[in-house]
Amino acid sequence: MVNFTIEEVRALMDKPTNVRNMSVIAHVDHGKSTLTDSLLSKAGIISAAKAGDARATDTRADEQERGITIKSTAISLYGNLTDDEDLKDIVGQKTDGRDFLINLIDSPGHVDFSSEVTAALRVTDGALVVVDTIEGVCVQTETVLRQALGERIKPVVIINKVDRALLELQVSKEDLYQSFSRTIESVNVVISTYFDKSLGDVQVYPYKGTIAFGSGLHGWAFTVRQFAQRYAKKFGVDRNKMMERLWGDNYFNPHTKKWTTKGTHEGKQLERAFNQFILDPIFKIFNAIMNFKKDEIPGLLEKLNIKLQPDDKEKEGKQLLKVVMRTFLPAADALLEMMILHLPSPVTAQKYRAETLYEGPPDDEACIGIRDCDPKAPLMLYVSKMVPTSDKGRFYAFGRVFAGTVRSGLKVRIQGPNYTPGKKDDLFIKAIQRTVLMMGGKVDPIDDVPAGNILGLVGIDQFLLKSGTLTTSDTAHNLKVMKFSVSPVVRRSVEVKNAQDLPKLVEGLKRLSKSDPCVLTLISESGEHIVAGAGELHLEICLKDLEEDHAGVPLRISDPTVNYRETVTAKSSMTALSKSPNKHNRLYMVAEPLDEEVSKEIEGGRIGPRDDFKARARILADDFGWDVTDARKIWCFGPDTNGANLLVDQTKAVQYLNEIKDSVVSGFQWASREGPVAEEPMRSCRFNIMDVTLHADAIHRGGGQLIPTARRVLYAAALLAEPGLLEPVFLVEIQVPESAMGGVYGVLTRRRGHVFNEEQRPGTPLFTIKAYLPVMESFGFNADLRSHTSGQAFPQSVFDHWQILPGGSPIDGTSKVGQIVQAIRKKKGIKVEVPGYENYYDKL
Amino acid sequence: MLYLIGLGLSDETDITVKGLSIVKSASRVYLEAYTSILLVDKSILEAYYGREVILADREMVESSSDEILHDAQNVDVAFLVVGDPFGATTHTDLCLRARSLFIPIRTIPNASILSAIGSTGLQLYNFGQTISMVFFTETWKPASFYDRVRENASIGLHTLILLDIKVKEQSLENMARGRKVYEPPRYMTVGQCCAQLLEIEDIKTQEGEEGEGGVYSEESLAVGAARVGGKTEKFVSGTLRQLCDSADKLLGGPLHSMVLLGRRTHELEYEYVREFAVDKEVWDRVWKRDYEGKQ
Repeated sequence: MVNFTIEEVRALMDKPTNVRNMSVIAHVDHGKSTLTDSLLSKAGIISAAKAGDARATDTRADEQERGITIKSTAISLYGNLTDDEDLKDIVGQKTDGRDFLINLIDSPGHVDFSSEVTAALRVTDGALVVVDTIEGVCVQTETVLRQALGERIKPVVIINKVDRALLELQVSKEDLYQSFSRTIESVNVVISTYFDKSLGDVQVYPYKGTIAFGSGLHGWAFTVRQFAQRYAKKFGVDRNKMMERLWGDNYFNPHTKKWTTKGTHEGKQLERAFNQFILDPIFKIFNAIMNFKKDEIPGLLEKLNIKLQPDDKEKEGKQLLKVVMRTFLPAADALLEMMILHLPSPVTAQKYRAETLYEGPPDDEACIGIRDCDPKAPLMLYVSKMVPTSDKGRFYAFGRVFAGTVRSGLKVRIQGPNYTPGKKDDLFIKAIQRTVLMMGGKVDPIDDVPAGNILGLVGIDQFLLKSGTLTTSDTAHNLKVMKFSVSPVVRRSVEVKNAQDLPKLVEGLKRLSKSDPCVLTLISESGEHIVAGAGELHLEICLKDLEEDHAGVPLRISDPTVNYRETVTAKSSMTALSKSPNKHNRLYMVAEPLDEEVSKEIEGGRIGPRDDFKARARILADDFGWDVTDARKIWCFGPDTNGANLLVDQTKAVQYLNEIKDSVVSGFQWASREGPVAEEPMRSCRFNIMDVTLHADAIHRGGGQLIPTARRVLYAAALLAEPGLLEPVFLVEIQVPESAMGGVYGVLTRRRGHVFNEEQRPGTPLFTIKAYLPVMESFGFNADLRSHTSGQAFPQSVFDHWQILPGGSPIDGTSKVGQIVQAIRKKKGIKVEVPGYENYYDKL
Repeated sequence: MLYLIGLGLSDETDITVKGLSIVKSASRVYLEAYTSILLVDKSILEAYYGREVILADREMVESSSDEILHDAQNVDVAFLVVGDPFGATTHTDLCLRARSLFIPIRTIPNASILSAIGSTGLQLYNFGQTISMVFFTETWKPASFYDRVRENASIGLHTLILLDIKVKEQSLENMARGRKVYEPPRYMTVGQCCAQLLEIEDIKTQEGEEGEGGVYSEESLAVGAARVGGKTEKFVSGTLRQLCDSADKLLGGPLHSMVLLGRRTHELEYEYVREFAVDKEVWDRVWKRDYEGKQ
């Protein structure tokens, strides 16, 4: 039975100091969902017997089948501390009573679904990072940790699957300790790399209680703090002092009965306190039970004060081990304690998160409301994703109340990502039908939800595409739009098998786009329906959903293709000139490549169109060597007003230039969205406006005259600047035993892959290979790898960067790249040959 | 030979006798129909001329002029322009192209709004630079005309304001998609123009020193004109605020133009224009206060 009621949960919501919003994040297969089970079992949502196998937060049938998490799932839990003493260990934030509300989001670990992690992180303040004892810190661990820190989310860590180290690898205590400390060090390296002053130092240490060790599968875990509590009484010392002694180079010398930091006594090795006091009992239990030393067991249990249920006493082997360990060190207790004591409450977190969450000024009512987590302030709610309801085609909007209180029937402003204050674009004013609490696969109705909590909303899904801001303040800006670490680089086109199903497909594509934060659905000019995803697996899941659920009609699906970008590789060989149709206006421009670093900063959202232009100019000048005058005169970013192409005004004293800015910017958006080579988006191009001559009268230089002219001159400038085609490249991380490494190299070489790092994981026969692999060559890579390594290699691919597609110029129809370009053009139903610059260039 | 023939301002009968004879004998006749429009339909023109007339829209004139100039070295091509060929809107680009193809050019002038505006009673000698007023959008409010008005006002001259017409304009989306779908035609009215004038004055005044506002105000006198030269010609005068509120009702359908009065308005001009006043008392009061006897 669930051991808490909705009323209890609702009551706790009013005490935001006692709320913890947290996500569980990790590399794929490090055991997030399994660990989450133990928390659910503690809350009575699933039975203890099923915990570890149920993966209750994997609510979809295919998640259960494949054994991986695809969608992030939220669940609200009730937790409490048993002792008032414990409250004293909550440092730096207020608390009100011993009862806590924990809003937990279990997220997927596979890189293809990183966007789900981003959506989860946005609405939480803390993260439980799960790391596999044996595999250690992997590529996705690093990615999610980086994302978390970027959102100013405080991490705590659990080192999971300790049972495997004991049962399979049979390591010694000291080896295990060393392995733990190596893993912790690698986590801390990542954390300190992304140090953020406002968040402070959030490195994790066992002696501070921010790291737990355990086994999700067996349902046990512990923190150093828990053991310190046991021993503090015995040794009669302060618990906090004890915690420090139980980790690192601290030893208890049995001969002198004193604590020391020296590892030897009269030439003999002393046993490390961690090994002696913490690992020893655990090793003894494992040893006794797994070696069937039945006579030792009762004594051991008594010594450790473990009381078993009568029917559990009959068990033996692994079953008994599970019960004993679970009773000895229940995982939920360790995790709850760690989360409650060390993760910030919304009140604490929103103080330092407000400025990074909000696009508007830091002193308006909305931002102050967020900063103070004030339930009486105007509503500020961020919808981070859409969750399908049982009602086909409808969605719960899932999000977090940052300020104010949301209730059923409340009339709110629904501001999409393109909303700008004072305008009416991307804005709806509608009433919220119902508010609900997300409980895994189920929902529970709730009347209202105050600031600091996570919830689902009914009835606003039609007004938001994927995410957005809800507010009751007329002047509020948006909460910052999420930046995803993955991009939809793999695409497949779909068509219906029966023509009459087409409307269903169109409707299905709309629903699919809503249901996933990252997937892109579009209709090409030639009428093709295209679905783009982060990787093959992501796309496969999306298309399966589309076929079976969203559209519900049989589909024909093409082979995967990739998305290209157009770029320039040199400065235009001469200044491009185009005249307006009426010949009274002339634009002169030059194209040149934009620094790759700048492009990455733009794509990472660190340099953007909404920055203060002076601050942005400072960064460009100081960090990227831009001329300050140029940097201050960036007219716009494109495509979609935020892409990694820039339009820079370098003209001198042109009268009325600002009157054509709008038109030129529109032309730039258009041209950067559909480049001159293959009508693919441009990337990493900088266009400089060199000079402009204009008709004296505004009527002769309207949009009709200037927009097409701007596009033409941009095309000419790009074609004159040695255009190139960019292809997306994956970073692949492959875990493989030494014996199968040859196969990995073979497969990579055949697919234009390039290995740049190879490292043995200490203490294991496993190697980690890191390589760059063009996305185009990655289709079928996993299967290929499996067959050449007898299934021993486990690859993870994540989009990393763009690189120039080798093989000649895209405008030369005889080169390899030219052939690809012509194929794209043909598919789009446009003239096969790339038009020369003369088509866009006007002579003086 | 390329003939540029002015059609005058209102209907088919405004064409000159010389122009008509060329139209009758030319091998092709184009009607430019986007910088201004006649008050009658193309079919009426065709009936009057007794021949076919090809409609030339913006795209044709600006992007495919070769078609118009085709073989003009050997045959006569007539290009009909509403008003005067070299009046308010120029077709110099077409002439330059013709010249480069060694096509001889002749122009048949006709009445233009630039001269016909004299029928308001304002003397053409007292006009300064002519300006155009475009349709503003939310983000595009070109205000460069303001400096021209300032220059005119500084020496007390009238300003003729030509009002935007949008015939066959594409929306931004259609332009980007390359779809030849056009918006319904729009013609600016005197009321809209006055509102935009006042909007810019507000902006300029708010900008303070940099903008240097105060070139005109709600109480500046102006004359609105509709369908000048036609049978239903109509004039209305008053302050900008009055015109803003009531000119459109009084003037009726397109095309509209207007004049912002200069300080040095002559007494004869005043008396003539007074007849069109929305409210003669206000007209007299403002005249006496701001205009009479000013140099």
